[in-house]
Amino acid sequence: MPSVTLRGIVKRYSDVTAADGFELTVNDREYLCLLGPTGAGKTTALRVIAGLTVPDEGTVLFDGKDVTSLEPEKRNAVLLSQTYSLFPTMTVADNVLFGPDIRKVSEGDKEQMLVSLLDLVRLTSRAESYPRELSGGMQQRCALARAIATSPDVLLLDEPLRALDARLRIDLRRELKSLARTLGLTVVHVTHDQDEALMMADRIAVMRAGRIVQVGTPEEVFNEPASPFVANFVGQSNFFTGTVVCSGPDGAMVEDHLGRRVKARPTDVPEGQKAVLAIKVGHTHILKREAASLHGRIERMLFEGRVVHVDVDVEGVGRFSSKVPLSYHGRYRVGDEVGIGWNRNKAKIFPYPEGGLQNELRVD
Amino acid sequence: MGSGDGLLEFVSGKGFRKGWTTFNIAFFLFFIILPTVFILTYAVTDWSEIRDHVLNDPATMDLIIGAVVVSFEIAAIVTVIDFMAGLPLAWMMARKEFRGKQFLDTLIDMPLAVPTAALGFSAAIFWAATPNPPPFSLAVISSPMVLVILLHVVFSYPYMVRSLTAILGGIDETYETAGRTLGASRLTAVRTITLPLFRAGLVTGAILCFARSLSETGGTIIALATLYGRRMVEGDFHTGPTLIGLWKDASVSDASLLPALSFVSILLILLALVLLLVLKLVIMRVRLPMRKVWPTPEKLLSRGLFPKLKDSSALLFLFLMVLVPSFFIFTYVLTGTPSQADWGPFADALVTSFVIASVVTLIDLVMGIPLALYIAKNRSGKLAQLLDVLVNVPLIVPTAALGFSLGLFWSNFDPNASVPMVLIILAHIAFTYPLVVRNVVGAVEGIDPAFEETARTLGATPLQSFRRVLFPMIKSSILAGAIMAFTRSLGETGATLAVVASANTAPVYIVNLVNQQSYYLAAMACIVLIIISYMFMLLLRRFTREEVV
Repeated sequence: MPSVTLRGIVKRYSDVTAADGFELTVNDREYLCLLGPTGAGKTTALRVIAGLTVPDEGTVLFDGKDVTSLEPEKRNAVLLSQTYSLFPTMTVADNVLFGPDIRKVSEGDKEQMLVSLLDLVRLTSRAESYPRELSGGMQQRCALARAIATSPDVLLLDEPLRALDARLRIDLRRELKSLARTLGLTVVHVTHDQDEALMMADRIAVMRAGRIVQVGTPEEVFNEPASPFVANFVGQSNFFTGTVVCSGPDGAMVEDHLGRRVKARPTDVPEGQKAVLAIKVGHTHILKREAASLHGRIERMLFEGRVVHVDVDVEGVGRFSSKVPLSYHGRYRVGDEVGIGWNRNKAKIFPYPEGGLQNELRVD
Repeated sequence: MGSGDGLLEFVSGKGFRKGWTTFNIAFFLFFIILPTVFILTYAVTDWSEIRDHVLNDPATMDLIIGAVVVSFEIAAIVTVIDFMAGLPLAWMMARKEFRGKQFLDTLIDMPLAVPTAALGFSAAIFWAATPNPPPFSLAVISSPMVLVILLHVVFSYPYMVRSLTAILGGIDETYETAGRTLGASRLTAVRTITLPLFRAGLVTGAILCFARSLSETGGTIIALATLYGRRMVEGDFHTGPTLIGLWKDASVSDASLLPALSFVSILLILLALVLLLVLKLVIMRVRLPMRKVWPTPEKLLSRGLFPKLKDSSALLFLFLMVLVPSFFIFTYVLTGTPSQADWGPFADALVTSFVIASVVTLIDLVMGIPLALYIAKNRSGKLAQLLDVLVNVPLIVPTAALGFSLGLFWSNFDPNASVPMVLIILAHIAFTYPLVVRNVVGAVEGIDPAFEETARTLGATPLQSFRRVLFPMIKSSILAGAIMAFTRSLGETGATLAVVASANTAPVYIVNLVNQQSYYLAAMACIVLIIISYMFMLLLRRFTREEVV
């Protein structure tokens, strides 16, 4: 199985830049998730790897070999599209054997392959069905079997779980991941769903506006975001804008224009510079009003099952969100004045973004 | 690796693909478009002739202007009638399930199986008030214009119903349901939600009908000749195409008619081109009064008797105005006075016609499908958009003018028409090729490119992915295009005569019989032609059915 490297890929359409010079390496047998909002250029990246889109600039390397202008059918990189694209005129069996047929695999080998693959995806009884007779989950598994049947080096998944209902989606996450591991595939999985990426990926590449903004393990991307955008896109954050007032090895402080000071972990942003502090919603705590330097009024509370989502309106800052355990449910009410706090090691300081914070966080 | 693999490899290569595409576009431009509009160059090269013999000759000008205006009037009226009568039927076909739907589906296409020459004759003896009308005929129409309108409705109606059904079938009914849950009556919902959505289908249908009416020559000539009871002369009622037909015949012996002939052809081609653009732009842009609603009367019209009335009148129209006139000719079997005849020449003509139609259809498919694929897959490209518009040109150019233009063009290469068959085939390709391309473009555009892309990543070459994935999905549209091309070629008179005046094809043979007033023989020949075409269509239909999984 090869590693896949993209170097300086640029792809422009008449009015959009889908890839703006991005760099990415997918290691051998790695499960990499390309995560980003709609329109970030994820699908373009995938199509460039598959050979379906020829980049305007840049090179695509498989195991260090330049394949930029190689036809898709010669790359052995199989794409599984959002809609699965099961061929409607063929049965499940014919769909699965499409690749082997083209490679002129012998009848006996095909038969054996079909049996084992259908067994793997639990579609043995539906071999003679047509795709439209299958449920969404079955279609997905059939498409997967078809992809594996060609024994691909690279598996490219374009939002493979998008069309499924929530329960099934979560089941299939695990299945897909373990299958990829068993077969030792190099996988690039495109998704806009952060939970999916965090759960499935060996590494996540976060994309935005045709560029890769951060690559790292799920933990790194979640805990050490490279920018306010990543902090917010992967696991939603609250932001506090101000100036760095003191910075040392034990931590730093940010002060806003109303003189409120909040704490964060040590930072490289020098004292006196405008900065923005990000703290994950899940790390934000609701406290008694007196116990915190930042306070506001509870705007609304949403029951989410195991936790309660609380939105607090903080004067001059905007909305801070938090998740509190269900046991807290009775303790607070909408309209209550509360304090907001966090563990200083969970809060990260970024230099204030050039285009403004709103612009930085935009997902379109 | 055998040599077969080597060939496949070569054919799948980028270089070959590029060359093949270029070749197809070149074929289209040189063999279809250029001959079609070649006559326009006469406006430049022979301008002085045209000025002296036509523009400065009020009598000829009057004749030409009159005929051209009549042609456009007829085409407009026919299109409106087709739409009004076609919509309810298209609605039934797209939205309702009822017994005999399959049967009705076949019935709608039946007039397409009848060659226009036979159709013109059949409709004329049914409607026209001739001195000796055959039994059971209505024989009420004495106005040539009304007769031509009635005739053109017969053969353009199926196109309108087909286009509208196709689009209606593709519109999600949930929009309408949503409208109705929001309190709109059925009629209001349909009018304000569904109708605006199928403008595209309306454009296709309207262009097809308008073009068909504007360009039809053979059937119109036969119908008028039947009405007059003799060969047509200059003083008769004329449409643009019949005037071309008349002058083309006469120009064989009288070369002074050539400028007038060129001029009327040029005029028809140019006006048809302008109209094509206008129709495309206007229908897409114009704002129909869709917003306004009249809840009470529309609610009333949505219930009870009215919908039933609408459906039954649509069916009545289909039978009385389309099917009966198409097949009225069969009554000759019962009532005509049999006359002895030598069937040898007709059999020859029939064989010639079938050979021509088969060759033409084959070339259309081989050359047309690649162009259609190019157009459909490069939608955003300027060249593809241009080709997409150009492809319609031969459809709207009157076949007589087309034939005339083609004859002139090819005579540059073969002045003596030494191989008339080749000329006829080239002429027929020009007006049937767009039918194949249109159908295939429509089908490919409806298919998600992801299917083929996935096939490519699964290891299929472009050729393999077309053959195994795309082709099975668009097979029925290809066959539909082939049926249209085949029957159009089989039934065409005007263009054939315009290219080779002495052509020996079945429709030409029938026209000659009608001109000699050998009606019984003409009828028998028509019936044979109809039966053969119909069997052919049934055969193809069976083919296509199997594919619908």
